[in-house]
Amino acid sequence: MARQDALQGSLPLLLLTLLARRGPLHGYGIATQIETMSDETLRVEEGSLYPALHRLEETGWIKARWSTTETGRRARIYEITAAGRRQLESEEQRWKAITAAVGKILKHA
Amino acid sequence: MSLWSRIANVFRSDKIDHELDEEMQFHLERRREQLAAAGLTPEEATAEARRRFGSALRAKEQSRDVKLLPWLESLLRDARLGARMLRRNAGVTATAVVSLSLALGACATAYSLLDALVFRPLPVRTPDQLVYLVFPTYNPDRPEADTFSDPLFVALRDAGTAHIDLFAMSTQVIRPVIFAGAEDKERVRTQYLSGDAFELLGVTPQAGRLITPRDDRREAAHAVAVISHAFWIRRFGGDPTIVGRWLTLEDRQIEIVGVAGARFSGVEPGRPTDLWLPYASYNPRAFGNGSFNWFRIFGRVHDGVPAPQAAHALQAAFTNYRRDRAPRVSRDESQGDVARFVATPLYLRSAANGPSPLRREFERALWILAAISALILIIAGSNVANLFLARTAVREREMALRLSIGAGRARLVQQMLVESALVAGAACMVGLLFAALAAPAVVTMLATPDDPVHLDLRMNWQLLAVAAGLTALTTALFGVVPALRASDVAPIATLKSGGARSGVRTGAMRPFVAVQVGFGLVVLFVGGLLVLSFLRVSNVNPGFAMADVLLVGVEPVEKPDPQQQRVALLGLLERLRNVPGVRAASSGEYSVLGRAWTHNVRPPGAREWIEATMAPVTPGFFETMRIPLRNGRGFLPSDAATGALGSVVVNETFARLYFGTDPAVGRTLETRFGSDKSPGLHQVVGVTADTKYDLRKPVAPTIYIPLMLRSNGTLHVRLAGDPAAIVTRLREEVRATIPPFRVTSITSQAAAVGRTLLRERLLAMLAGFFALVGLVLVAVGLYGVLSYSVVLRTQEIGIRMALGARQLSVIRTIAADAGSAALVGSICGLAVALYAARFVQTVLFEVTPFDFWSLALPIGAICLAAILAAAIPARRVARVDPVIALRCE
Repeated sequence: MARQDALQGSLPLLLLTLLARRGPLHGYGIATQIETMSDETLRVEEGSLYPALHRLEETGWIKARWSTTETGRRARIYEITAAGRRQLESEEQRWKAITAAVGKILKHA
Repeated sequence: MSLWSRIANVFRSDKIDHELDEEMQFHLERRREQLAAAGLTPEEATAEARRRFGSALRAKEQSRDVKLLPWLESLLRDARLGARMLRRNAGVTATAVVSLSLALGACATAYSLLDALVFRPLPVRTPDQLVYLVFPTYNPDRPEADTFSDPLFVALRDAGTAHIDLFAMSTQVIRPVIFAGAEDKERVRTQYLSGDAFELLGVTPQAGRLITPRDDRREAAHAVAVISHAFWIRRFGGDPTIVGRWLTLEDRQIEIVGVAGARFSGVEPGRPTDLWLPYASYNPRAFGNGSFNWFRIFGRVHDGVPAPQAAHALQAAFTNYRRDRAPRVSRDESQGDVARFVATPLYLRSAANGPSPLRREFERALWILAAISALILIIAGSNVANLFLARTAVREREMALRLSIGAGRARLVQQMLVESALVAGAACMVGLLFAALAAPAVVTMLATPDDPVHLDLRMNWQLLAVAAGLTALTTALFGVVPALRASDVAPIATLKSGGARSGVRTGAMRPFVAVQVGFGLVVLFVGGLLVLSFLRVSNVNPGFAMADVLLVGVEPVEKPDPQQQRVALLGLLERLRNVPGVRAASSGEYSVLGRAWTHNVRPPGAREWIEATMAPVTPGFFETMRIPLRNGRGFLPSDAATGALGSVVVNETFARLYFGTDPAVGRTLETRFGSDKSPGLHQVVGVTADTKYDLRKPVAPTIYIPLMLRSNGTLHVRLAGDPAAIVTRLREEVRATIPPFRVTSITSQAAAVGRTLLRERLLAMLAGFFALVGLVLVAVGLYGVLSYSVVLRTQEIGIRMALGARQLSVIRTIAADAGSAALVGSICGLAVALYAARFVQTVLFEVTPFDFWSLALPIGAICLAAILAAAIPARRVARVDPVIALRCE
């Protein structure tokens, strides 16, 4: 539970970054990416990805379309929008500033 | 996704649900495949995939909240459930909808009439800048005047130029007009206006052009006219070739030069103008004539000029003008009167919504009806509240069940409120339909054939907003209590007892009962006053025999010279007298209860001028109308033949006022026609019994004079038998006279008298109708509450009766609750009613709130309604069999 809470606030940032770097993905693809890239440190409850994705979609930072996979099933593919990229940039700045500040305190306090 | 798409999603939530399922299903399957590939058994893979995914249901709910408006969705779900519940209780629902829609419809009707007549500003440029001029007359019958003469207008216009642009618009008169190519005269509502009026109003033409200052010159080449858009459509079907057509008005050729813009129908709400003519083309005698008051003065205050400043500039000119005229007046007036005449103030009244005699006459009546409608809405709403309260008892099980599976109380309140809103919403729609039919019907009640009334009643957003507001208010006032009550259940106790609650739940109904009975009494009281007043005023003895008299309007086919016309008219009357079935025929300038004009009269040498009603009539008039002669004689052909104002006949009131107990016959009178004319002397040759020229007022001192040359008057024909058989013959005789006449209108004297009581009749009919509706609603409401108490307390009744209580005492116990509430309600209601009576007092005739019948009627009706409402539940109590009632336990 603790791990998930740690992720809660930064999930949008994570999702935007993934979609920006890896191109269009479906929900399952995003889940496996997070899993492999964080060496399973950041294991999210996979279901909670979806409300987060839908919230980003609602805000207009990502967009979604239905497409048919090679196995013939319909999957919902998410893609970052221009607004999403701008948001990502400012989020990244903020994140870096925060981590730097926290790092400083950890170091000098 | 925008708010709109979220709203749209609510209405396609099935599709959204499906897509969410599909997306998550895809995820679960891919994970399962991956896990299976990694070596798990299918069962293990499925379980592990689910575990990793977490609660799919929660994820889905969260996503739904993102994609949909959750509150809207739950409202919609409640609405569907509510509609189902309402259908199941069709009887209750129908009662609620019908009573509420009647009430809401009445409110909407009243609003749309008030809007058209009172609230809505004129469709002109910045109507707030428009004013019109009025001044006090010091005459209690008509305390303010708003008509002016040509010289005064010129003086005021020139004095105000720095602050205000003044323009003149005549009083509207329906005149006969012949359009080129048409045979017959048509009755058209005409108005003269100064050349700059259209421009100052900000009206633009629909076709052709409007009247300009260049048309408004007495030496203009020919007269021009502009017709209204509505008249253009109605009479010419919107024919584009209308511009340049000619018409004939009072023997003058006039060219139609344009059609006014579609929205502008004149400056008098209720009486739209058909035809406008330039001021300068009016009766030449009016110009330069200070006693010919024939138009209103309007003004547009200049931008940035405060109205008082403009008024100040005009006041100086007005006072100067009056001072110049004062010497001519002062000859007979006392010094104080002269000072008052000169110092008369001139007021600027807002003309934003147009000066309207119709409004003056009916505004209060409409407000009274609006207030009554609002009370009916409160009564109907209380009824619905009690119906819903009674129904909540039946639905306690449902509520308890929903509470026990975790629905919040707020959710239940919402559900119940949605049901109330559904009922109110349905009632609102039915009510608006009702108003769309009722409002025009009321307008026709304001109109007479001589004076058509047209109000623009189209549905506008203001009306819809008022209706929606009232609906919301109704829901809030009468839905909240039942909703709170319904959700206030103890789930376990209720479910255990199988749904029936043991406690008595009529307590919440009591305030509604009190409100209902109280306001019911107010409506009945006010309605009763208005009906009684109408009955009194229509039973007033006018002093003449109304029955069997036909009023026939005639005019010569071709205009003969005056003397010839007079002979012809007397000849026509003689012909009519010889028709079998005609008892008597004569002519009078005005049908007895129509308009009458007044003049100042005094015995020679007396100081005071007194206003008397003048009634020009032909010989034979008193016989036709059966007005008894008290003294002297009636008119002889010799009086009339000269046409001179030598002999006059006065009524008893006049004789008493002017001559006291002295005999009036043989005395002389001095009359003065306006302040410019030299006095004329007349001899009284007879005294008649009193007649009334206005049923609502005391008998006016009246002078009958011989009908003058220029007028045909209205023919008064007393018939012996069936009018239908004689009318054709009358028309033939009128046509056969030499030179020939033509009939312009035929009506019965009784109908003409009835028309003078339009307002009284309107109020009596509608208020009476609503009083009945209110009474029925109160009775239904009381019945509902009482029979509900009987159902709730059947077991208690059984026990009491088993223990030997008498039926009457049991009934009394059951009714005590509602009865005491009704009593409190009626006492408060009576107080409110007596207070409210002050607002209707001005429209009442010889009825006061403390008359026996004024009080006995509403109280008796309420008591009767209460007894009737209690009778059926009481019989049910009497039928309760203690054994059966107790076995139910």
